[in-house]
Amino acid sequence: MTLSTLVTFNLRYYRRHSMLSLLCLMGISLGVGIVVAVQLINNSALSAFASSVDYLSGRATHSVISDYGRIEEEHFVRIWKHPGIKAASPVIQVMANTLEIAGEPVQFIGIDPFLDADFRDLGPMRRGERDLTEFLTSDVPVVYLSESLMERYGLGKGDILTVLSAGVEKKTRIAGSIPASGLSGGDTIAVLDISAAQEIFGKEGYLDRIDLIAESNTDRLLDIMPLGLHLTDSNERKSTLQGMLYSFQLNLAAMSLLALFVGTFLIYNFSMFSVLSRREDLSLLLTLGADRAGLVGAFLTESVLLGAAGSLLGIALGFLVAWFSIDRVSSTISELYFHISVESVGLTVPVVLRGIGVGFLATIVGTGLPALEVAVTPPVIGIKRQSIEDRAHGLKGLLTLAGVSLFGLALVAAWASRFSIFWGFASAFAVTFAFALFTPSILSQFTHHAGSWFKRFLGSLEAFLAARTIRASLSRTSIATAALAVALSMTIGVDTMIHGFRQSVDAWLEGSLQGDLYISPATTKWAHPLPDELIEMLRQDPRVEAVERYSTYGVRLKGKPARLRVVDGSVLKHRSRFTFLQGERSAWDKMEQGGVFISESLGYHFDLGVGDAIELATPLGKRSFPIVAMVRDYSSEQGTIQMDRQIYEEIWKDRKVQSVALFLKPGVSPDEVRRSVAQRVPGLDRTISSNTQMRSDILVIFDKTFAPTATLKGVSLLVALLGIATALTAILMERSREMTVLSYLGLTPAELGKMNVYQALVMGLVSFMISVVCGLILTYIITNAINYRSFGWSIDIHVNPWVFVKAFLLTGLACLAASIYPTYKLMRAAGVHSLEEE
Amino acid sequence: MAPIIRLENVGKCYHSGLSCEIHPLDGVSLDISFGERIVLLGKSGSGKSTFLNLVGGVDLPTTGRIFFGEREITALTQRELAEYRRKEVGFVFQSFNLFPTLTVLENVMLPLDLLGSSDERRAMDILDAVGLAGQLNKFPEQLSGGEQQRVAIARALVKGPRLILADEPTGNLDLETGEAILQVIDRISRTKDATLIMVTHSADALWLADRRFRLRAGKLVEETFSTGIVAKA
Repeated sequence: MTLSTLVTFNLRYYRRHSMLSLLCLMGISLGVGIVVAVQLINNSALSAFASSVDYLSGRATHSVISDYGRIEEEHFVRIWKHPGIKAASPVIQVMANTLEIAGEPVQFIGIDPFLDADFRDLGPMRRGERDLTEFLTSDVPVVYLSESLMERYGLGKGDILTVLSAGVEKKTRIAGSIPASGLSGGDTIAVLDISAAQEIFGKEGYLDRIDLIAESNTDRLLDIMPLGLHLTDSNERKSTLQGMLYSFQLNLAAMSLLALFVGTFLIYNFSMFSVLSRREDLSLLLTLGADRAGLVGAFLTESVLLGAAGSLLGIALGFLVAWFSIDRVSSTISELYFHISVESVGLTVPVVLRGIGVGFLATIVGTGLPALEVAVTPPVIGIKRQSIEDRAHGLKGLLTLAGVSLFGLALVAAWASRFSIFWGFASAFAVTFAFALFTPSILSQFTHHAGSWFKRFLGSLEAFLAARTIRASLSRTSIATAALAVALSMTIGVDTMIHGFRQSVDAWLEGSLQGDLYISPATTKWAHPLPDELIEMLRQDPRVEAVERYSTYGVRLKGKPARLRVVDGSVLKHRSRFTFLQGERSAWDKMEQGGVFISESLGYHFDLGVGDAIELATPLGKRSFPIVAMVRDYSSEQGTIQMDRQIYEEIWKDRKVQSVALFLKPGVSPDEVRRSVAQRVPGLDRTISSNTQMRSDILVIFDKTFAPTATLKGVSLLVALLGIATALTAILMERSREMTVLSYLGLTPAELGKMNVYQALVMGLVSFMISVVCGLILTYIITNAINYRSFGWSIDIHVNPWVFVKAFLLTGLACLAASIYPTYKLMRAAGVHSLEEE
Repeated sequence: MAPIIRLENVGKCYHSGLSCEIHPLDGVSLDISFGERIVLLGKSGSGKSTFLNLVGGVDLPTTGRIFFGEREITALTQRELAEYRRKEVGFVFQSFNLFPTLTVLENVMLPLDLLGSSDERRAMDILDAVGLAGQLNKFPEQLSGGEQQRVAIARALVKGPRLILADEPTGNLDLETGEAILQVIDRISRTKDATLIMVTHSADALWLADRRFRLRAGKLVEETFSTGIVAKA
C-alpha cells in the first residue's frame, strides 16, 4: 500500500471531522501568527528607525556627539579645520509638536545649508539663490517639510507652521517640501536654518551633533577631540538605541511564544484524538497489508501538511496583526524610548521562514507522542477507549512527579536569572509547564469529589455527570484544561505584576510630584527649555511659595546612555517623599554639597550604590560625584542621575529649565494661577497641568505601554478556548453512545446540553484554580527574575482581588462560549439517533 | 382490561432523499395488556429495535399512533417524551450500556436521580435482588458480562417502570449466563408487575413469553406456541 494511498485515506478523515480540523488549524495559525506579528513589529520598528538614522546621517561617515548632553558651538571650528576632516556639518535635531500637524510630532533638523550640502539633499541649496536667501534671512523662520506630511495635512508653500517649544508657540513658514526619495513615507521631518532652530528650541550657542565626512583613519582626530565629546558612526548610534529596545522587544517575543506554547497543547490534543479515533481504521489498513512504517509515514505527512497549512495561515494572520498594531507599538516606543515612525510592515523571507519553522516545530512536538502511539502500539481492532483512559490515569502520578522536578528546576532557574535574563524566562516557562503537568492529577481528584458534591449539595445530576465525564476522558480533558490553565496563569501573573507595577509607579509619582501645578513639555525627552523670563516671573509671583526647576539631559555613562536630571535639592528636601532604597533623607544635604542620587535601575545596570562615585563627562572634563542615595525612580529604564541645580549650573554653565513644579501658598487656587500664567504666555495653557492631571497623564502612558501585552494575552486565551471547544467536540464524538443512553434514560436534549456546558465550566473552574496558584508564583518570577533583570527596577507586589474576579468571570464566559458549538451539536443529535443493537 | 400499549397502524420509513427507501414497520397495529410479556422475533434489520424505540418514545413513527394507557405518546413533545421514558420505561440493552465512569451503585441510582430521588436503599435492594449486593462500589469494567447485564437490569427496574423494553439482553452473553439473565428478568419483572417487551432472534427466550410475534417485511405476525402463526397484526 503506497504512502499516497495512506495519506489520501487519512485526509478523508479530516474532511469528515472538518470542525475539529478547523479548530486545530486555527490553534496553529494563531500561535504562529502572533509570533510572526511580534517579529514583524520588532523588525519594522527597528528597520524604520535604522533607515531614518541612515537617511538623516546622509553621506556622513562619523558624528561627534556629547557625553554630557550638548556640544558647545566653539568646538565646531576646531574639528572642522582638522586636516583629517573632508567636510563637517553642525546639526540641531529636536522633536516638537506643531499646531497644524496635530497628533504627529515632527523631527526638526537645524542645519547650515552651505556646510550641509555635502551631506544631505534636505536644504534649499539646490533650489536657487532666492530660496537660499529666504531660508537664511527671512523674518519668520522658514522650514522645508517632508512631502508626504504636507500631502497628509493639506499644507502648502507659504503656509504657517506653528511650532510648540515647551508649549510656547513659535511661528515658522513653509518654504517647500523635502522630496520623498530615500525618505520613509512615515518620516515627519522639517528642515530649518540652524540658527533659527537654536533660537526656537532654546539652544543658542549649542549643537546636538556634528556630522563629519572623515578620512578612513580617524586616530588623529581622536587626539584633538574635546573633553566629553566622542566620535561615533551611524551604526554605533543605531546599535546603542536598538540596545535600549532589547528588553521591551524580548518581553513581547516571550509573550508571543506563550501563545504558541498554548497552541502546541491544542495540536497535541487534536493529534491524539485523530490517532485514537482511527485505531480501528489503522488496524484494518494493517490487515489489508499496510506496514507500520507506512502508517507512521502517512501520519507524519499529514502532520507536515497540517503544519504547513497552519503556518501559512499564521504568517498571513501575523502580517495582518502587525499591520493593524504597528502604529500602537511604535507610539509606545516613541513615548518610552525614542521617536520612530513606521509606515509599513515588510514581510521578509527570514520572518516567513521563522514562522514556518515555529509552526512545524509546534506541530511536530504536538504530534510527536501521538505518532509514537501509532509506531509502538499495535492498534488492535476493538481496543477500548477505556484502556487508553486507564493508561492516562496511570500516567498522572508520573506526570505529577515530572511536574515537581520541573518546579524544582524552575526555582533553580529563577535563582540563575541573576546571570542572564534567559534563565528568568526559562523559570517562568518551567513553572507554567510544571503546573500543566500537575493538571491531570488535580483534574482527576477534583472531578472525582466534586461530582458527588454537585449531586449531594447542589442536587444537579447534570453537573455530576459532567464531572464524571471529564474524569472519564482525562487524556483529552486534562490537556485542554492544562492549556487554559497556562493561558490563565500568564494572564493572572502578568496582570498582578502590572497592577503591582502601577501601584508602585503611582506611589512613586505621589512621592515625587508634590507640587500644585506643573509646567512641563509633552515629554522631557525632547528637552525643550522654558523661556527664562517665565521662570523669573513665576519666582516673583506672590502667590507662589516655591518653584522647583527640573531639566533632564541624555548623557553617556561608561559608553551607555543614561539620563541626568537636574533638580532643586533645597526645594525637594522639604517637599517630596522619595523612597530611599539606599541612603536616607539626610542625603538631600549631601546632594547640595555635590553628591548625586541614582535611580535603582542605574544602580542595577552599572552595579553602583551608595558609597560609590559616578564619573560623568562635563564641559570641564571628567568629574566624579559621590553617590549619596539610591531612590526608586521609574522614569527611565536606562537609569537616572539626580544632581542639584547649583552644582550643575556651576559646572555646565547652563541655566536652562525644562519644567517646573509650583508650590502655591495656602489658600491660593491652582486654577487661578494656571489661568493667569496661560494668559501671560500664549500657548502655555497646553503644558500647565495640575498635580492630579500630571499623574493621570503619566499613568495613561503607563497603561498604553502594556497594551501590546493585553493583545498577546488575549490571543493565548483564545487559543486555549479553542482547546476547550476541541476537547468538548472530541468528547461528544467519543462518548456519543453514552449521551444516547442518557437520552434513553430520560434526559432531555436541554439537560444533555446543560451537562455539556457544565463540562466546559468545570474544566474552566479547575483551570482557574490552578492558574490562581501558578499565576501568583509567576508574578514573583516576572517581577523579580524578569522585570528586575530587564529594567533594573523593583516592584511591590500588590495582589488585586479584581484581577482574580476578572479572570474568573472571563473564564466562565469564555468556557460558555467555547461550549456553544459542541452543545448545539449535542442537542441537535439528542433524540435523533437511537442505539442500534441489531 | 384496557391495554397499556396500543399501536394503531404504525409505520416507519427511513428516507433517502425524497423517497421512502427502508420500511421497517408497515401499518402495524397491536394491543398489549398490563403485565403481559411479549417476545418479538425477527431477522437482523427486520425492525425489531425500531419497534422498541417507537414504543419507548425514543423515535417517532412516520404514520400511525402509539398510546401508553390513555396517553398518546406520538403526540408528546420532546420534554414530555423524556419524562415518559424517565418514569414509565426501563431499557435493557444487548451491550449493557453502563457508564464506565460510574460505580455499580451510581449506575443504578441514575434513573432515581433523574426522578429527583436519592433513595439509595431502593438501589441497594434491587442490586441485592439481582445478586450484586457486594459489588456496589465496583466499576463496570471490574465485572463480568453477566454481572454487567444484571446491573443494567437493576438500572432498568429500580424506578419501578410499568414497561420494560429489552433489546437482545442475552445477545452478548454465553448460553448459561444468558439463561440466568432471562431468569432474573422474568423474576423481577413479575415481582414489579411490569409489562415486558423483549426483542430477540434467539428461540431460547421464548419460554417467558405470554405472546410472541415475528416481524416480516414490516408486518407483525403473531405465532402460537404449537402451530406458529395465528394472526397477522
